[in-house]
Amino acid sequence: MQKVIAQTEDIPPGEMMEAEFDGRPIVICRAADGEFHAFTNLCPHQGAPLSKGKLCGAPEPTDYVGEYNYKNEGNILRCPWHGREFDIKNHGRMLANDKQKLREYKLFIEDGNITLYK
Amino acid sequence: MKGECHNHMSLIDTDIHERVSYQELLPYLEQPWKRYITDCHWIQEKHMPYTQPAVAGVDRADARVPDGRPAGSDLGFMQEQLLDSHGHEYGILTGALDPSPSSMHGWYEMATALASAYNDWQLDHWLEKDSRLYGSVHIAAQEPAAAAREIERVGSHPKMVQVLLPIDDILWGDPYYHPIFEAAEKHQLMIGMHHNEPPVHFGKWPKYFIEWHTLIPTAHMNQVTNMVFSGVFDKFPGLKLMMIEGGFTYAPFLMKKMDQQYKDLRHEVPWVKRMPSDIIRDHLCFTTQPLEELKKWELMQMIDQMGSDELISFSTDYPHWDYDSPERALPPRLDEDLKTKIFSENARQFYPKLR
Ligand code: FES
Repeated sequence: MQKVIAQTEDIPPGEMMEAEFDGRPIVICRAADGEFHAFTNLCPHQGAPLSKGKLCGAPEPTDYVGEYNYKNEGNILRCPWHGREFDIKNHGRMLANDKQKLREYKLFIEDGNITLYK
Repeated sequence: MKGECHNHMSLIDTDIHERVSYQELLPYLEQPWKRYITDCHWIQEKHMPYTQPAVAGVDRADARVPDGRPAGSDLGFMQEQLLDSHGHEYGILTGALDPSPSSMHGWYEMATALASAYNDWQLDHWLEKDSRLYGSVHIAAQEPAAAAREIERVGSHPKMVQVLLPIDDILWGDPYYHPIFEAAEKHQLMIGMHHNEPPVHFGKWPKYFIEWHTLIPTAHMNQVTNMVFSGVFDKFPGLKLMMIEGGFTYAPFLMKKMDQQYKDLRHEVPWVKRMPSDIIRDHLCFTTQPLEELKKWELMQMIDQMGSDELISFSTDYPHWDYDSPERALPPRLDEDLKTKIFSENARQFYPKLR
């Protein structure tokens, strides 16, 4: 099945939009590079609506105490409740535990339409 | 979402934060107190070097009122997002922590005026507007006589279920504060203790928020230990204490440790006449949030070690960022009887005015 979810111009880079696909809530994220990524809109922790969180950056891991290297602006989805971080450019993997990731949906762009399919 | 996991079970939520703006308190304040806010810009003192670093500060990012007002400030939105959508039977309001009169380090007269104003505002705007909501009496506990007068003034209201004491840097078990407990007991009010900004690091704050937030239960442990060994529950047999927002997983350790210490050192506190763990079982209850992603067997072990399944009461902490979902926070497949106790019956037994 496939479904047109939104138009590309509906979502500027660094923004999100909630939608529905196959009867499930999903979130479409537009990364800093302009690409689109779709995930479940339910946080795997306690089910918060991820689209109400923020696409932001995050300090990358470092070997030096006190060093903050804030990177990936617009590519890290932070949950609106407990703030867990998911990397939308890395299949929605959680930064604190990369064994956990968001369920990702496949999509393609054609004529300005964002289409989800499975 | 409603009842998905707890099967339309009755829910008594023991920690909900309503929020006032100083502007809303003005009609409830007399002069000169009012002008210290309007003309002199009084604000509640704050101590921590950090902010609450969630997506929207201390609040859930989706709990801001749609018209832009802060989370927890609008009854209608709270009803929609919390009470109606999860099917709450009752919710206990535990204050916004700002103002927190009992946390002030001076000017107790202003604190006393703020506490009265807060209670009146809470009654008018929340407790008398939604039959599901019950509230906490705010006091300026640094002046026990004035605090007792405030308890006398509003404590008999049927919607007031407890007296709120913040967990900061005062241990409330000292006999100096006992007039508060005497007044509370007289009005069938329990004591609710909720942390404000406890200095958990040797009287100061640790370097990072994550350390402070991890160590909040240690501030709760200070209070539990102090209340029991100060003989509060021996002196006020009708009094009970709800420990709010520190979770409960520290309780098994503390009960074991206090019992062992009591056997060795009872002579120092001869006014304590029973095993501390028995006192805790008879007089204390702990709200569940923030839950530590326990597996069912881990939760069952904790309950087993506490020697009772009647010591924990579910709480969401709405609208704060470390909110626990009634459907998702506890491990799945708990026995129905236990769920009924955690979600409602333990709170109902704890607060006489809910029965
Ligand atoms: S619900 Fe998303 S981090 Fe907890």
